[in-house]
Parts: sequence; C-alpha cells; structure tokens
Amino acid sequence: MIDRPSTPARHWVDRGVLAVGVLIFVAPAVSVFLWMLSLAFKNEVDNLAYPPVFIPTAPTLANFTAVFRENNFLLYFWNSIVVTGVSTLVALLIGVPAGYAIARLKAKKLLLVILVARMTPAISFLIPLFTLFQALGLTGSLLPVVITHLVITVPIVVYVVSGYFETLPPELEEAALVDGCSLWQRFRFVALPLARPGVTVAAILAFIFSWNNFIFGAVLAGRTTRTLPVAVYNVLTFEQVAWGPLAAAALLVTLPVLVLTMLVQKEIVGGLTAGGVKGG
Amino acid sequence: MIEGDRRRLLCFALPAVLVVLAVAVFPWGFTLWMSLFDWKIGSAAHFIGLDNYIGLASDTRFLWSIVRTLVFTALAVGAPLVLGTFAALVFHERFPLRGLLRGAFTLPMMATPVAIALIWTMMFHPQQGVLNYLLSLVGIPPSAWVYSPALAIPCLVLVDVWQWTPLVMLVVLGGLASLPTDPFEAAYLEGASRWQTFRHVTLPMLMPFVLVAAVIRMIDALKTFDTIYVITQGGPGTASETINLYLYLQAFSFYQVGKSSAVVVVFFALVIALSLLLFWLRKRVNYHD
Amino acid sequence: MSFTLQRRRLLQAGAGAGALAALPSFAQAFDWKRYAGQHIEAHLIKSPRGELLQRHAKEFEALTGITVGVDLVPEQQSRQKVSIEFNSKKPSFDVVQFGYHVQKRQFTRGGWLEDLRPYMAESGAEFDRADLLPSALATAILPDGKWDGMPLNLDPFMLYMNKELFAAKGIAVPKTVAELQAAALKLHDPGKGIVGMVGRGLKNANVPLWGIFMLGEGGQFLNGAKLATDSPEAITGATIYRDLLTKTGPAGISGFNWNEAQSLFLQGRAAMWIDSSGFSAPLEDPTKSKVVGKVGYAAMPAGTKKRVTATFSDGIGVSSYSANKGAAWYFVLWASGTQMQARLLSGGGGAPIRASGFSNKAELSKINPEYLQALADSLRIAVPGLPVIEPVTEFRDTFGIALVNVLNGADPAAELKHATADFQPVLDKSEKPA
Repeated sequence: MIDRPSTPARHWVDRGVLAVGVLIFVAPAVSVFLWMLSLAFKNEVDNLAYPPVFIPTAPTLANFTAVFRENNFLLYFWNSIVVTGVSTLVALLIGVPAGYAIARLKAKKLLLVILVARMTPAISFLIPLFTLFQALGLTGSLLPVVITHLVITVPIVVYVVSGYFETLPPELEEAALVDGCSLWQRFRFVALPLARPGVTVAAILAFIFSWNNFIFGAVLAGRTTRTLPVAVYNVLTFEQVAWGPLAAAALLVTLPVLVLTMLVQKEIVGGLTAGGVKGG
Repeated sequence: MIEGDRRRLLCFALPAVLVVLAVAVFPWGFTLWMSLFDWKIGSAAHFIGLDNYIGLASDTRFLWSIVRTLVFTALAVGAPLVLGTFAALVFHERFPLRGLLRGAFTLPMMATPVAIALIWTMMFHPQQGVLNYLLSLVGIPPSAWVYSPALAIPCLVLVDVWQWTPLVMLVVLGGLASLPTDPFEAAYLEGASRWQTFRHVTLPMLMPFVLVAAVIRMIDALKTFDTIYVITQGGPGTASETINLYLYLQAFSFYQVGKSSAVVVVFFALVIALSLLLFWLRKRVNYHD
Repeated sequence: MSFTLQRRRLLQAGAGAGALAALPSFAQAFDWKRYAGQHIEAHLIKSPRGELLQRHAKEFEALTGITVGVDLVPEQQSRQKVSIEFNSKKPSFDVVQFGYHVQKRQFTRGGWLEDLRPYMAESGAEFDRADLLPSALATAILPDGKWDGMPLNLDPFMLYMNKELFAAKGIAVPKTVAELQAAALKLHDPGKGIVGMVGRGLKNANVPLWGIFMLGEGGQFLNGAKLATDSPEAITGATIYRDLLTKTGPAGISGFNWNEAQSLFLQGRAAMWIDSSGFSAPLEDPTKSKVVGKVGYAAMPAGTKKRVTATFSDGIGVSSYSANKGAAWYFVLWASGTQMQARLLSGGGGAPIRASGFSNKAELSKINPEYLQALADSLRIAVPGLPVIEPVTEFRDTFGIALVNVLNGADPAAELKHATADFQPVLDKSEKPA
C-alpha cells in the first residue's frame, strides 16, 4: 500500500517472490486457453492423438469454417449482443441507484429480496416462464430472453454496487448535504464517481454472466432467437465430439467478452488507482 | 440524512425491486403450487399436499445429494477466496505489464462455462487426456480423474476454482484499491512488520469485500450446473450428483414437475439459510467498526 | 425375415413393376405439390439421421414446393425443449424427430402425435407399406393398432474389431460370448496401451450392453408386470459385462459413453468395441480415424442360450397441434421414403426401415460389404434394447447406477436386487391409467 524503504537485496527477493506469485496464477489460467487455441487449429486426427500433439502438424482453418457453415453464427452473435447489451444496460440504470439506496438505508431485507432471484435455480424458471411467454404470444422474439436475463444481471449489479457504496465513508456526502446538495446530487456527483471501480466490476460481471448464460437461451429461445453459447453446445455432433470445431466455437464465443474487458481495462485501472479516500 | 431522504432512497431502489419481483414472482408461485402436486408431463396432475416433501425427507439419494452439494460448495468457495485474495494482493503491486498479466489471469472467468467444461472433459480423459500426459512426464502414474467416483468432486472443484478465482480477485482488488493509506502509514510508523501489517490492518479492512465475493461465490457454487452436467452428468454413478443435478434429473429426464418443484423449494431454503449466515458474518465485520 | 428372402421378393416385385410401367397409367400419379406454398418447421435431432434430412431439405422443398425451417438440436436439449413445448400445447414445430426408446411412450400418452393412418391410406402406393421391414412395423405400430410415428432407422448393436490386432495374435472372429471373452483376454495388452474391449460404462448409456448379455443367457427384462432383472441370468449377464470391461477394458470405464469408446477405437487402442451400427461412419474417415481399412464388423456373438442384439430407432412424427398437418405428413413421407432410406444406409445412419433401402445399387456400392453383412445379420437377431415401458428413463437411471457400482467393485447380485426392488414400485405406479 505504501512504499517502504528497503535494501537492494530485499528488493530483489521481493521482486522474485512477486514474479513467482504472478506465474503461479497466470500460467494455469493461460495454458488452458493455449490448449484451446491448439485444438482449434488442428485437424481431428491430431486432436485425438496420444501423446497429445501441441503444435499442429497441418494447421487448418477448417474448424472455424465448419462453425460458421453449420450454424447461423452471425445471427446468434447479434442475438447475444442485443440480449446481453440491453439487459446489462438496464441492470446498470436501475441497479446502481438501487445499490446506493440499499447501502444508505442499510436495507438488508431488500437486498435479500433481490438476491432471491439469483439464488433460484434457473431450471425452476424455465417451465413457468415459457408457458407465460407463450400465453402472451412473445415466444418468437428476443424479448423473453432479454427479460429473463434481467434476473441474471440486476441482482449482481445491485449486490456488488451496494457492497462498494457501503464502504464509502458518509462524511463526504454529509459535507455535500451541508452545502445544500439534494439526494440526487449527492448520489450523482459525490458517491457515484468514488464508486466507479465497483460499478465497473459490476458491469463486467453482469455482462459476462449474461453473455455466457446457456440454459435460458437453450429452452426459451426459438430457432432464430438463440444466443451464442447455445451455438457452442450445438457443435457437438452425434458421431463424435468434434474437438476442433468445439474449440473454435468456444474461442469465437469468448472473444467479444475478452475484447470488452481489454477495452474496459483502462477504466478499471483508472478507477482502481483514482479511487480511494485519503484520510478517513 | 434529511427529512424525506428515506422516501427518496426507496424510490431509487424501487425499479430494481419491481423488475426482479415481476420476473420471479410467477415462477415462484408456480413452483410452490406445483410442489403440492404429483404431475408427470404427459399425464394428469394429482393434488397430494405435502407428500412430495415427506418423500424427499426419506429419499436417501436426495439427502446424499445435499451432502455432496455442501462438500462441493465448501471447497469451491474456500479455495477461490484464499487464492483470489492472494492474487489480488499480487496484482495490486506495481510491476511491468501488470495490466496485461492481470487481464490474462481473468481470462478463465470470461469463457463460456459449457465450452470450458467440454475442453476440461477432454483434458481429464484417462487415456487420451493432456493431464495424464503431463503427469507421465513427471513420472506420476495416470489418474482416472473425473472417471473415478472418489475423485469426481475434487476434479470438478478444480475446474470451478480455475474458472472463478479471478472473480474473487476482481472484487477484492477493487476493495484494495479503495483502501485509505492512513492506517498503513500509522502501522509503519509504529514499526509493524509486513506480515503484521497484513494480518492486522490489510486483512480486516479487506474482509467486507472478501465477504461480498464469498456470498456471490457461495450462491453460484451451490447452483453450479453447467460444469457438472457437461463433465460428469452427476456420475460416475451418483458420485457427483449435487442437488441441482438431481433437480435436473427429476425435471427434465423424468418429467416429474411436482417432485422437482419440491426439490427447488428445499434447495432454495438451503441457499437462504447459508446466505443469511454469511450476511450475519458480514454485519459483524463492518468496515466502519 | 431373411435378408436373401427379401431381396428375392423385391426383385420379383421389381420385375412386375417394370411390366406395369409399360401400360398407360390410369391411377393418379402422386401429387407431391399438393401443399405447395405452405411452410413447416421441423425439429430434428443432431444425429446422422437428422443431419441427413437437413442436408437434403432443399430437395424436399423443390419436390413439394413446401418451405421447411430445419432446427437441428443436440439430443439432450431436444428432449427437454420438445417436452416443454408440447406441454404448452403450442409447440413451435410441425414435424418432430424423437428417440423411440426414450420419448415415444410419453408422446403417445400425452396425445402429442398425430395418428398417421388416414394420411398413409390417402398416400396409397407412394407410401408402399409392403416395403417396410417387420422390425420397423413392430416398432411403429402400437398395441391398439394406432400408428402415430414413423421410424427413421433401425440401429442394432454390433461388434467392431481391429483386424490388424486380431491378425497379429491370430485370433478369429468370435462367434460366442465365451470366444469373445477369450479373445479380449488375449488381445488385452496394457503394456502397449491396447485394451481388449471397450464399451459403454456411463450410467444410463450402459444398460443396453448389459441387457444383451442378460438376454443372451436367456434372461429378460420383464416377466409380465414384474421385473426379471434380479434373476440368475441377469446376474450372469452383469458379471460378463463387468469382467469384459474391467479385466480387459480401459481405466475409468464407468465414465465412458459411446463417444469416449469410439475415440479409443478410432485411435487403434481398443481391439474390440460393441456399440450401435450407426456410429460406424467416422471409422472409415481418414480425417478422423487411425484405423481406416482395418475395421472388421460382425453381429453380436451368441450367449449360452440365445443370439441377440439390442436395437433402437429414431422416429419422426407430426405434432397433433400442427396447423399444417398435410404438409408435415409429406415431410415424414419423404424422410421415410425409398430414396432417403437408401441414403441413410450409405451415410452410416444405421439400417433403413425399408427393404428397398437395401437394394439401391448406387448407394450400396459406397458401403463396406462386411458392414452390410454384419448389419443384415444383426437385424435378424435384433430385439428392443430396453424394456418397452413408460418410465424407461428411470429404468436406465436406476440400473445404470447399479451397473456403475458393479464396475467399481460392488457385488452384481446385491446391486441388481437392490435396483430391482427400487424400481418395481416406479413400474407399478406408472402402468396405472393416467
């Protein structure tokens, strides 16, 4: 947290320990993805070989083309963007103020009510919601999927954000109050900027969970309204689990989330280093 | 707070609460109602009152699934909490390429669980899998991994830990970054060692964030489905059959809507009980105390 | 019915038809374009059958003028989606593909499928009922004569062998289970990474394999309304199953489904493999298989009392809630018709339901003759691989778990008795009227 003076020797030991620490964490995380990359570019014989082949003997793009050919990939991609984008945005719009309110009101019961949605196993939503949407005649559109995804995104936003708001000392807001700021102003101009890391984390989590959700899309969506993870699962052929196309599809599905995170990295970094209240 | 603020704050919270209730109320009502029936899709429904619950109380398979769920959850929450906190400490330090490496560490969290589970299944394969190959390189005999009843749950925990430790790290890191520096300066001035600082200053201040992560992880671990379903389907036999798997079996293999609704209710009660426990813990470790 | 007998009959029929064609036809030519302009949705399962239909869907559209929206869904997902949709009484599809052994009973009970008899009668000669194989008819027609689904294929279990490994040890094709066990022991070579036998060990999937051994010993699944799964024959069957897979099988066998077993065989690391004939296509595909040209095919060896093999069928039907039943029927008619059935065989989708499927020279020439012979032999000894009861999924689950326990060291007699006791009440409850 703070910079302590230390001897050069100590410094290098510290750096060494740190490097080992980083390696321990990053290596397992990355190696599975490297393996996925390897799978995606190898043909089937290579993929099933033992001892495992790491570098493709005959690198091929066939797996990727198979994924695009056998699925309406672009359509599913668009569906995922719409569903996840809308449900994350809505979740932020209504969830962040709610998180603030719950933190300031110390309303544990309200938090529990919202979390109930997250605690409920997805399966119990499926049959009743499907029947309901059918009765309302909505099953051909993306609307049911978007609405159902709110159950995923809203609770996580509210919960994470309220946790961060709770840790903000009330003194600043009290100072603003004395200055004559309304509740909205206190929220918007004092609390919110300080809670940026929290909001960013919440947004990323909501996006990820919604994007990767499989079970809602699998059952509630029709042929034209499916989302991307369902397409990944569809890559399983009956004859044999096609590892190459599966890895290719998995990579393609994960890519947008990765890109988003890389873009938002700056936000996180900015938020994480700018945040913090001196004193207190 | 001034007069009227309470009411205004409630208005802030209203939309979120309403949305959640609107989407969840009907399914919940349906589930509670259906749990009182004996209904298999394709046949007629019969009202049987609380018989489903009575049946569950003596259903050894269901009771064992509760045990397995608790074991899995304890491991899948505990390990990421510890590892994730340490990861947060590591990634809080400044070093070159930190942003990139931190991003790399969070990769597992981004990947679609279903896809990752399939990749892991292949890695676990006793004859064809990469993991046994790596073991053989260091002279360890091959393991049956998820194909062995005893190792099924630990292996599944491994996958879960691999995927969700970054989430804990993110939450705790956000907390670390927002910590004030004064307590640390004070500790340094008083001559505290680094370990002492960590133990008595950092850790207590981090606890609220760790607990936020713990609650999220616990709820998710209890509900884990995709990973287990794809890798073992609850097997071998019933070795990794958690409540959620048992629920899926009842609902979508046997089409027993009544019975599975009762399982949902019991499961939910379990989740609430454990969450309240964590909430109570969180209260006791309030940041401002 | 004997294979050669069928061919003879068919050749005779063909000769007769040739003569008939010379006459001017007074009978109405079948109007394929009757429902032109309509649109149907077909829910198919991701399998060789489903993929075959999807691949040729454009031909159907050209033939009939009916547009088809094809949805190809993996098996597990399909089952839950179809049930939920049927339950809501407004499914999004007109045509549905299903697995007979898992879903059919439920569909019938729910009244979800349309009775096809009036449509068949109307289609007359085009449907050509006489061409259907007896096993197909047995699968399709319900005890009360109702006919609410059309089988798409017959998929018997057969024995796959790695001929190279057999030749190296000088072993002949096993004709009896005893020979099978002996061969597996001789071929089992852990030092070289070769197992003698691989098969399904995964719960649910493993039941048919045990079933074959039990039936071969003269046992049966049911005795009237009571289970016969704890009989001495059943226990012997389980012991044979266990020994084959644990003594001469790979580690972790209790988690092996057909695809793990298949990939082991494809890699040339299993000397023998017992599973559905419908999984044969990748074996001869050089981009997927290391044993191309080295695969031997044979019908299941004989048990001490009988020679049997398990068979399963995919089916296709018309939703009773459909608004386009006529057009949907045309799809069923086309899918189960001569041309598509012949293609099914050459595409490795299992055995067709029509005798004529076996006589299409062009398609036949694409297939390995040994495979064809094994298939024909298998069909002759084929019986349903699972008991024909309503809670068949529960059956597979209960006994599947028992078999996994057996594979992991439990006593077969104890496990089967326990499973039988567990399942009997479920069976009793289910056969009560709804």
